[in-house]
Amino acid sequence: MTTLTVSRQMGSHGFEASQLAADILGYRLVYRDLINIAARRAGAPEMALVAVDELGLLNLCPDPAVCQAYHDAVSQVMHEIAGFGNAIIIGRAGHVILKDRPGVIHVRIIAPLQLRVDRIANRHHISLDCARSRIEASDRCCQRYLQRFYQVRWNDPELYDLTINTARLTSAEAASLIVNCIEKLQLESIQTHAENRENQSSHRLIAA
Amino acid sequence: MPKTEKTSPRIASSLPEFAHPAEKTFSTILDYYGIEWEYEPRTFPLDWDENNHISEAFSPDFYLPHQDLYIELTTLRPKLVNHKNRKIRRMKELYPEIQVKLVKRREMRDLMIKFGLESEAQEIIGVAAQVSQTSKISQVDKI
Repeated sequence: MTTLTVSRQMGSHGFEASQLAADILGYRLVYRDLINIAARRAGAPEMALVAVDELGLLNLCPDPAVCQAYHDAVSQVMHEIAGFGNAIIIGRAGHVILKDRPGVIHVRIIAPLQLRVDRIANRHHISLDCARSRIEASDRCCQRYLQRFYQVRWNDPELYDLTINTARLTSAEAASLIVNCIEKLQLESIQTHAENRENQSSHRLIAA
Repeated sequence: MPKTEKTSPRIASSLPEFAHPAEKTFSTILDYYGIEWEYEPRTFPLDWDENNHISEAFSPDFYLPHQDLYIELTTLRPKLVNHKNRKIRRMKELYPEIQVKLVKRREMRDLMIKFGLESEAQEIIGVAAQVSQTSKISQVDKI
């Protein structure tokens, strides 16, 4: 019943690694669904557009009350997903919203700026300057979002259980690290559970 | 709720003939963000004459099925914006369950150039685009 939250930088291969890890683990990958459900639940479907418009192309300025209703809905939906377990939740401050929830692992995926610029330029066939602008806009958007709504710093290492730098790792290797981490935690959980049961049995025997 | 007319759905997989270059640009932005859209899929009657014929109608530019949201693009001209605002107010009276969002295209072109969407940005052409938008509003009014 484990849930993962993934916070990733644009161009870090974070989405690809999460997708692969979800495939291997048989977990549900939660990305846009969360935004759409929360926006509809808040009665403000345009908030789904605001949430994805990290380059600010759509020029949408929602009302503060609408923003708050949406963020409350995001938190509610996220807790519901974590309650079901076996899910990887990408972005939306999952690592902050589910910070104190047991059974949730928080992963951060990063890469050096210049490498991210090269990757985005290659992937979208755009100039390095444009790629850098996209990345800077995306980084700014994430930082502001976390600062404004959750008063946390994006790069605070204490918010994450596992940080992966993909400078020298492929998406598959990053996914493998995530899967290993989950499997190890699940194994430990099974072992602890087995030990507890064993202890309970011996106590019963002694008592008898 | 009054009866609405659903026109033939045109989805992102087959690019429709846009009435305005800004609409094509907007569709590119939606595609960039991976948002599914339909172009002018529905017409909402807003007013009727004494013979019960539709005298005014409104076809929002885009429908986003996953968000259940209609989008109407605006130009920079205040007169045109007022016209659309009035229609949207009327829509809210007649179809309160339908969500419509007015999106201004201010600065869209500059931003797209900055982020490497130059070819799409070229198609937002100042005066010509606004003329095209005016004629479209007149056409819709005649429905």
